[in-house]
Amino acid sequence: MSIDVYIPTPFRRATNNKDRVSVEARDVRGLLDELEGRFSALKGLVRNEAGEIHHHVNLYVNSEAIESLQGLQTSLKDGDEVSIIPALAGGGPALAGGGLGLVGG
Amino acid sequence: MILTPEEYARIRAQAVAEYPGECCGVVMERPGATPERLLLPCRNIQDELHAKDPQRHPRDARTAYYIDPKDLIAMGRREAQGFRVLTIYHSHIDAGAYFSDTDKHNALVNGEPAYPEATYVVLSVLERRVAETTAFRWDAAHRDFLPVDWQKPEG
Repeated sequence: MSIDVYIPTPFRRATNNKDRVSVEARDVRGLLDELEGRFSALKGLVRNEAGEIHHHVNLYVNSEAIESLQGLQTSLKDGDEVSIIPALAGGGPALAGGGLGLVGG
Repeated sequence: MILTPEEYARIRAQAVAEYPGECCGVVMERPGATPERLLLPCRNIQDELHAKDPQRHPRDARTAYYIDPKDLIAMGRREAQGFRVLTIYHSHIDAGAYFSDTDKHNALVNGEPAYPEATYVVLSVLERRVAETTAFRWDAAHRDFLPVDWQKPEG
């Protein structure tokens, strides 16, 4: 079962500049385990130490956000495409009261 | 070229149209004998994030932008066609065209620039008028985003 994973520009430093990687996995959690096993520099970029996906990273299976599917338990089938999409964000002056409102992770 | 005159005119129009929200988007380029350029205005979903979870996203679109991930997927598809991100732009509302701490924080991944070859363009929109535009690029020696000498296109 081969899953095609899109690696975005900001994370390609961790994948030897590969923009697409084929992975064998039954679900999204397994896919991330496999990816992090092959590219150790990806550890910490997509998930935190508790294994949760950072808030500033979005994962899509065939263009559908995994939050609207079954999250990390989302099943995968041969030919699926998974996209890892880190936020592209920013902003102007800080809020009164000091809240920067950074994209947290 | 950071922006062509036509791109600059379209971006300024977008910045004014989306006031008092920050606008955002990217310019992509496919290298070649005749490089092909693509302006992708993006949707700022900061208001939706703020409405959904104001604690995690205390800012709304008046002071922040968050490009719709669907637009980022579209960018990824263009990358697969040979395009690369050349310019990333957004506006500041009733504030200067500087690269804010938030901009810098979010432009880095583990302390390294997310798009090391891209130029970041910031437009200052004051009372629905583009007052100033500044470009910034990652400077590896200073490990910071520094202003770029930039001949702004007429447009």
